[in-house]
Amino acid sequence: MPLFKADKKASRGPAGKWDVVLAEDMCKACGFCLAVCPVDVFAWRKVPNRLGWFAMYTAHEGNCVGCMLCYQICPDFCIDVSLKTALTTAGGSL
Amino acid sequence: MTSTLEVGSGTLVAPWTDWARQTTSGRRLLEAGTYALTEGAIAAGCRVFAGYPITPATDIAEYMSKRLPQVGGYYVQCEDELAGMHACAGASLGGLKAMTATSGPGYTLMHDAYGWAVTNEIPLVVVDAMRVGPISGITGAPGQGEFYVARYCTHGGNFETIVLSPCSVQEAFWLTIDAFNLAERFRTPVTILTDQVVSDMWEDLFVPADSDALDFVVPRTSNLMMPFFPVGSADLDVAPNVIGRGTGVCVSAYTHTEEGYDIEEMEAQWAQTYRLVNKIRHHRAECTRYETLGLEDAEVIAVAYGANARTVKTGVVEARRRGVRAGFVRPITLWPFLDELYAADRHYVVCELNYDGQLVREVMRAAPDKAKVHFMGKSAELHTVAEVVAGLEGVIRTGRVPELPYIWTEVR
Amino acid sequence: MNKLAAKYLRPSQIPTKACHGCGIGMIENWLLQAIDELGLKQEDVIFGTGIGCVGRQTFATWGGDNFGATHGRALAVATGLKLAQPDKKYLIVVGDGDAASIGTSHLIHAARRNLGVTVICEDNMGYESTGGQFSPTTPAGYVTNSSPYGMAEPSFDPCDVVKAAGATFVAETTATQWHQTVKIVKKALGNDGFSFVHVRFPCNENFGAYALGTRDTLKNLEWIYEHTQGRKADGSESDFTWETGIKHDASNSRPEFSKIMRDVNARVQAEMAAKRG
Repeated sequence: MPLFKADKKASRGPAGKWDVVLAEDMCKACGFCLAVCPVDVFAWRKVPNRLGWFAMYTAHEGNCVGCMLCYQICPDFCIDVSLKTALTTAGGSL
Repeated sequence: MTSTLEVGSGTLVAPWTDWARQTTSGRRLLEAGTYALTEGAIAAGCRVFAGYPITPATDIAEYMSKRLPQVGGYYVQCEDELAGMHACAGASLGGLKAMTATSGPGYTLMHDAYGWAVTNEIPLVVVDAMRVGPISGITGAPGQGEFYVARYCTHGGNFETIVLSPCSVQEAFWLTIDAFNLAERFRTPVTILTDQVVSDMWEDLFVPADSDALDFVVPRTSNLMMPFFPVGSADLDVAPNVIGRGTGVCVSAYTHTEEGYDIEEMEAQWAQTYRLVNKIRHHRAECTRYETLGLEDAEVIAVAYGANARTVKTGVVEARRRGVRAGFVRPITLWPFLDELYAADRHYVVCELNYDGQLVREVMRAAPDKAKVHFMGKSAELHTVAEVVAGLEGVIRTGRVPELPYIWTEVR
Repeated sequence: MNKLAAKYLRPSQIPTKACHGCGIGMIENWLLQAIDELGLKQEDVIFGTGIGCVGRQTFATWGGDNFGATHGRALAVATGLKLAQPDKKYLIVVGDGDAASIGTSHLIHAARRNLGVTVICEDNMGYESTGGQFSPTTPAGYVTNSSPYGMAEPSFDPCDVVKAAGATFVAETTATQWHQTVKIVKKALGNDGFSFVHVRFPCNENFGAYALGTRDTLKNLEWIYEHTQGRKADGSESDFTWETGIKHDASNSRPEFSKIMRDVNARVQAEMAAKRG
C-alpha cells in the first residue's frame, strides 16, 4: 500500500454517522480519495461524467469514520464530510 | 507682399487655455520641466509615485520623494522600472492616482506593465523623458526615438494609446493634469513624452493657488458593480475598477470577460478589442490637442513636437520674414495620430530628433501626397533656426531640403 | 462542491483548469480552511496570482477581489496595492517559476521591505504550464523537457532567499501535510509583515511523466510523501528530503512596509504643522 496511506493515523469517530457528499460532475478521477480512505467508502463510476472522467462516487457511505482524509486530499473541492444532521440537531453524541 | 507672423499668434487647441484663464492667482516661479511635471501630478491628485531613478527623469523621483509625504502620498523607489510601473498599477487599482517617470532604457522595461494596465483599463500616467538612443545613448541629450514605441507600448496588438507631448515648462504643468484627467476618463495609461531638454530646462512657471482643489481635475471614482469591463462598448467616463471594496473584480493578463476572468474565445477577443480600441477612437475629440501657426496661406508646413518645436516655430517665423509662406504644426497629442492636421495638399517638413524617421512616416501616411513630405532628422541637439529656415526655403525654391551637415533627409 | 468552496470561491471557475492529479486545488482547499478558521470574510481577503499553472489555476477561483499579474510581477503589483488598501489580507499564490525565477527580484525586495502579504509559493519543481521544463527548484539530476540529460544546474530553496532578504515568517510544507499547512498559513496570515509559505506539490502530467516516468497520480503523490518523510514504502531512504516546518518566525517583530510609509507621512506632516505654528 502506498506509504502515505500506511502512515496516516487520522483521528476517527464511529462509523455510520457521517454524510459523505461527492460532487461527481466536478471529479477528475485522480483516485486520491479512494487511495487514502481507510474504510473503502469510494468506488469508480463505470460511466464518464460530463468532463469525460470516470468519476468517484460514494459507494459505501455507511463505512465512513469521519477521518476527513478524503476531504483534505481532494484537489477539486468535490467532497464534503459532515455528521449526519439528524444526529447534530438531536444533540446526539458520538 | 508676404505676411509676417508674430510668435504667439496662431491656434492652440488644448483645455489649458481655459484653465489658464480660470486660475488667476498663484505663484510665479523659475523652475525646471521636471518640477512642473511633479507639481502638475500633485495638483491632479497623484498620490503614488513608484519608479526608478534615471537621467533625465531622476529629478521627478526626487521631487516626488519630497512632495508626496507632504500631501499624504507615497513615494516608492522600486527595484527596477518594471516593478515601478506594476506597483503604480497596483496602487491605482487600490484607488490611488499613480504616476511613474523614466527615460528610454527604463521605458523599455515597462512594456509588460503597460500591457497589464491597458488590458485592464487601469488609469496611470507614465512620463518618458526621451534621450538619444538606442539604449543608454547619450545621457544628457534630447531624443525622440520612442514615438512609435509609445504607441506600441506593449505587445499583442488590439489596443489604442493616448500619448501627449509638451514643449515648455508651463505646458508640462498643465499637460500633466490633462494626462491624469484623460487617464481617468478613458481608463487607460496615458504617456507623456518629454525629452531631456523640456525636462531639464528652466522657465517661467505659474502654479495656481489652491492647486489641490482645482475644479477641472477629474476626481477618482470607483466602479462598484458589474460589468467591470464593458466589453463591446466604447463608452467614455466609465469609473475605474477597484480592488479592496469587495466587488469580486478579477484583473489579469488574459483576454477577459465582463467580470474579468480569462476566456479563450474569438468572440471575447473581438468584444475586448472593440472596447480597448474604440473607447479612444470614438472619442478622439476628447483627447485632441495641437498648436498651429500660419496654416491659412502656408505653402510649406514645418512639423515638430516637444523641445525642438520651439526652435522650429522660431524658424517658421524667421522664414516668413524672409518671404517664405511657411506654416507650423505642433501635435501635442501624438497618439491617436491627428491625421486631420496634414489634410492640406502642401509641402511638409518634418523635423524630429531622430535619424531613422518616425513622425515623418505617419505624416507621409496621412498627407495627400507623400512625395511632398520632407524629413529633417537630427540627433543629440535641437534643430537650429538657421537649419529650419534653410530647410523651408530649400523645399520652396528647389523642392527638397538641401544638404546640411548632420541633418538626415532620407526616409526609407 | 465542498462548503468552503461554496462560501468563498467563484462558481463559474470550478472545476478549475488544473489537471487530474494536480496538487494546486488541494492547497487552495487548505487556504480556504485557514481563511475560514480565522473568521475572515471574502471581502477581507485579496488573492494575487501570476502566470503558470499555480497562477492560472488559482486566478479567478477566489470569489472576492483578485488579480493575476504578468509573470513574476504579482509582488510588484501587491507593493502598490497594499499602500492603497493596507487593511486587507493578501494571499499571493504563485508558482516556483513566478516567485523563484522571473519574479525573484520582487520577492527579495518585498521581503526586504517587510511587505504585509502572505506568499504561498506552490512548487512543482518545474515550468509545468509550458510542458515541463526545469526551474530553479528542480532537484539535481532529474530529467525534464529541457534537461534531457539530467538537471545540471544547481537549484536553490526560495525559503533561504527570502529569509536572507528579511522575511519575518518563513515555512515549508508539502502536499501531504494538510494539517500543518492550514496551521502554518494561519500563522502566516497573523504576521503583519512578509510571510512566505513554500508548499511542494505533485505535477502529474509533466513532472510526473518526464521526471518520474509515470502519470499514475498515486505514484506521483507518493513521491511527494517519500520526500517529505525521507523514506520509501520499502523502508529505503529517499534521494533527498525536504525540510518542512516553520523555518523562521519573527512575526510582528518589525514594522510592515505600508506602515513605514504612513509613519513617514505622519512625521512629515507633524513637522509641517509645527512650522506653521
